Amino acid sequence: MEKEELTPHVSEISRVLGNKVDEEQIWKELDTYLNLYRVSLETAKRSVVRKLGGDPNALTKGVQKPLAQLGPAEQSVDILAKVLSANRKEIELNGETKTIIFGLLADESATVPYTAWDADRFQFNRGDVVMVRNAYTKEWNGQPQLNLGTRATIESMDKDAVKLPEGMEAPSYSGGPTTCKVADLQEGMNSVSITVKVLFVDSRKLETPTGPKTVFSGMAADETGKVQFSAWHDFNLKKDDTVIIKGAYVKSWRGIPQLNFGERAEVGRAKVPLQGDDLAKPRRRSVPDIERVGGAVDALVAGVIVDIKKGSGLIFRCPQCNRLVQKGLCRLHGKVEGQPDLRIKAVLDDGLGALTAVLNKDMTERLVGINLEEALAQARDAMNPEVVREKVEERLLAKPVEMRGNVTSDEYGLMMIVTDAEIKVPEVRNEAAALLAEMEGAQ
Amino acid sequence: MITREIAWRLFAGEYNSSNLELKGEAERAPTYIVSPLGALVNRVFIVGVLTDLENIGSGEEPLWRARVSDPTGTFYVSSGQYQPEATAALSKIEPPAFVAIVGKTRTYSPGEGTMYVSIRPEKVVLVDARLRDYWVLETCKATLRRIEAMTDAKEMATPTIEELLKLGYPKELADGVVRSFEHYKDLDLNKYRSMVLDALKYLLPEYQIEAEGEVAENASAPEEIEEAEAESEEEKEEKVLAIISKLDKGGKGAAWDEIVDEVAKVGMDKGALEEVTNSLLDKGMIYEPVLGKMKRI
Repeated sequence: MEKEELTPHVSEISRVLGNKVDEEQIWKELDTYLNLYRVSLETAKRSVVRKLGGDPNALTKGVQKPLAQLGPAEQSVDILAKVLSANRKEIELNGETKTIIFGLLADESATVPYTAWDADRFQFNRGDVVMVRNAYTKEWNGQPQLNLGTRATIESMDKDAVKLPEGMEAPSYSGGPTTCKVADLQEGMNSVSITVKVLFVDSRKLETPTGPKTVFSGMAADETGKVQFSAWHDFNLKKDDTVIIKGAYVKSWRGIPQLNFGERAEVGRAKVPLQGDDLAKPRRRSVPDIERVGGAVDALVAGVIVDIKKGSGLIFRCPQCNRLVQKGLCRLHGKVEGQPDLRIKAVLDDGLGALTAVLNKDMTERLVGINLEEALAQARDAMNPEVVREKVEERLLAKPVEMRGNVTSDEYGLMMIVTDAEIKVPEVRNEAAALLAEMEGAQ
Repeated sequence: MITREIAWRLFAGEYNSSNLELKGEAERAPTYIVSPLGALVNRVFIVGVLTDLENIGSGEEPLWRARVSDPTGTFYVSSGQYQPEATAALSKIEPPAFVAIVGKTRTYSPGEGTMYVSIRPEKVVLVDARLRDYWVLETCKATLRRIEAMTDAKEMATPTIEELLKLGYPKELADGVVRSFEHYKDLDLNKYRSMVLDALKYLLPEYQIEAEGEVAENASAPEEIEEAEAESEEEKEEKVLAIISKLDKGGKGAAWDEIVDEVAKVGMDKGALEEVTNSLLDKGMIYEPVLGKMKRI
């Protein structure tokens, strides 16, 4: 390698060594490794740094990425970001107490939660701008989370190195209240202000480590959707009240965002109540709209059925644990006499995204027009339970349907437990004529 | 989170104009076609009229080729032994028939700069005219949304995914629009607008009469010219058939590119060649054993 080509690497090694070593010496060492011993550039650089008393992990190895481009499983990544929050916490790890730092990092593109697994090695303070090298990411709640482990290093940078867009400086985690609608609620939000109508509320007693506690939980809604809530303090909530809640936070259950508020929250009554009984009706949502927040309560999704998955149609369940019985065997209870059941796992695609829709026996019977007895008879005649699945495909594939239900999410994507479904092939002429008139009018 | 690939709704007119492919770099990473209007397509959902169907494979190793028409053009569909379910479904269909197909995109590039797209079906089902009309309307709406996204992108100095997300477009579309913008320079959006207009008119009976009227008017054009043209059409067909025979040395068909080069020598341009081959395909004189190859029957 020529000298010019090596210059950036020499400067990098010099940086890692804190500019304390003469560059000429670094150049000589590097040249020896590369041109005499002919090792790879990466090995050479690591060896030189180690030999001259530095930490080879501080060398740029990963690629530097903007936060928005972080994947869920980065092995080694460098980022330049501003520390929005830095919280210290003591944890017990393998019997030893250890302090970790966690919080939020931000750059122009996004904010990302981080955990630095050693408070002694990493100096994080709110407002600092840092260059983090050799960090890794893990997925948590569908979002990448940055981890600083033993290989990671940080370097303080000039405060101007990261310029954040307006508004990002005060994230929902620590900043002022965010006013939002039900459909915008997302796991991790804090200080939420929201106006909702209480659809119903129940109270129940819980045993907590600090003694018995009463929690008031139920369902609330605005014009964008419904949400389950838990009030950890008695705000005297009543059905049909329109309330303005300030200082609520959001936790998710199986991806479904849920609204929580405790005694530090403020709950007021709205002067103008949210109108109408129809707040109790399900709202039409698109798949990506639900995907963005992780789930939804009682949503309506309209799309086309593009696949009927295996395990749909006539199935047999273990009488003891309700698990699927395959070839006469339950995974837990071995050879059992399976109980027949009907269900469908369909893929509903709205052209913008797809979710798995699960239909139980009643929904299957209604939508396909076949009952369990008929299904069993057909399977017996054909000596094959698969004929029922074929019948389901015949009836449902490529059909436009509207499905209603709760949508949860896990690592396999969104899943709707369907409570109502209807095949709807809309009449197209009026809409086509209206669209045509609109387009011709616009020209 | 593993997300299933979206089944995009797009017209043959848009799908077949795609010539940008994104190959996944990682192992098993999906491949996408970037359509002119920025659809990032790995899977499609189409409904149309299955007009031709042929098994060009054997009984043991079937390879079904089908053409499915929508109001804007023709989708090319091929299904073999690795799609047993779709292949079995196709083999039972008697054309013409309304079909709905969920399938994956396939591409074939005979050379630099040319790319042909087709569909490898996952599901094939018989449907009725009502469902076809529903699909046409849905596809009009989806196409208009993409035209809108492209229009918004044009107004930006340099369109970025972030800017498009801010306008409320889903991330797949935002990504596709940015890629399309870089690749299909100076795209004529009006072409796609009129494609949607025509498709909407297709759904409305009052316009169908008008369309037939137009055909009748054209038919009353001077007959002599038509005859003269008809003769030369036949001549052209003869020429093309001869060239295909000549180029088809291995018995696997003649490559499209080579046909284009050969006919150029006898003074025929690509547009004229396409007309002739379409006519020959319709007459059943030639077929495409694989995309981009022509063979005499």
